Amino acid sequence: MECVVQGIIETQLDVPVLRKVHAVPFVGPVASEVRLLCDLEHSEPTWTVKHIGGAMRGAGADQISVLVRSMIESKASKNVLRLFYGLGYKLENELLRVGFAFHFQRGAQITVTVSSINKMLKLHATDEAVPVTPGIQLVEVTAPATPENYSEVVAAVSSFCEYLAPLLHLSKPGISTGVVPTAAAAAASLMSDGGGTTL
Amino acid sequence: MPTKWVLHWHPNPGSTVNSQILNEVSQCAEAINGVKDGRWKATLTLLKPNLRDQSQPGEYPRELLGISLPEQPNKYYFILRGPRIVTEADSSIQVIMEKLQSYKSRIALYFEGYQYQLGDFQLRVGKVVSSHSENLRGIVLEVEYLPISSMEKASQVLGEFVDIWQEAVLKRSLPGSFMHNEPNLSEYGLAVQYAYVMAQLFASQSTQAVRN
Repeated sequence: MECVVQGIIETQLDVPVLRKVHAVPFVGPVASEVRLLCDLEHSEPTWTVKHIGGAMRGAGADQISVLVRSMIESKASKNVLRLFYGLGYKLENELLRVGFAFHFQRGAQITVTVSSINKMLKLHATDEAVPVTPGIQLVEVTAPATPENYSEVVAAVSSFCEYLAPLLHLSKPGISTGVVPTAAAAAASLMSDGGGTTL
Repeated sequence: MPTKWVLHWHPNPGSTVNSQILNEVSQCAEAINGVKDGRWKATLTLLKPNLRDQSQPGEYPRELLGISLPEQPNKYYFILRGPRIVTEADSSIQVIMEKLQSYKSRIALYFEGYQYQLGDFQLRVGKVVSSHSENLRGIVLEVEYLPISSMEKASQVLGEFVDIWQEAVLKRSLPGSFMHNEPNLSEYGLAVQYAYVMAQLFASQSTQAVRN
């Protein structure tokens, strides 16, 4: 299970490449979708199989500003792509994510990724990827949760989003909120503060 | 992955495996000074594609094997025999496959029994039972030479041990013998050997059914 919010920012500076993930959602013999993520950051790529399940529904879910959904991951050996092809899965789409990942411990284990999403013009051609939305980067805030503690995690993520409010709007995936008009000024203010202001 | 050989009991034509043979084999391990030091269990699951349209089976493999081994409790292995793919994953991959619903478990084989220490060797004697029945379906023997982790280097020593074992079993005049496939030297050779044993068990029981 995980809690998720997303937002977008406009790129002001060149973003150093720290992490690339090559995600390939597959669709199988019975309608089932799975994602294969390849971390290209290190000399030896590592693969993860990820299943994202349904989001929490109901009146309670509508009340909160954070998406709570099931999520299961498994590391896998490098031939996992061949395995899923062998099982009859079809590659639906392939994306390259390039950007940063930050980790915070603020009432929950929070990960913030800032990524440009790129599409590959040829299959698996990561060197020839082009941005889907040039000048715009996707910000994702995620935190693992369990059925027993998700309320606390939701509260932690919500609180964290409030801290980030001067820089970007964060909301449930699928709900577009646009960029914060004063984000550049807020970022400049933070940076001119000698780095003394911590989130 | 440990360097092991996996042998399976091959009954003589006209005979079947039974618990008496299993007892004799266990006694054999103790007779050559094996010290019993615990139980072990491995599981092999046969999964079949869950097709909405049964008229299109050709697009998908007939079966997917999933294997869990006692040495790697946090890992799970998938084998597709046709394209010869062996994939290692975290044990959470089983939950993912259940969620996907694309392949479903049809039958599981449980390999379980006692393990014995014999100097530098570890021996595991195990019965094979299926999830569908308590009946004994086979007997397996795992042999590991502990000092060496390289299968290539351990092969000769393992071969010599197995020769000694076979002689010990022969003396008991049992209606069958242990057989093994040439050990697979690939990275996940142990999982592949269990897949081979499963194939042999199903093949021999199909032959037995035809004879009956």
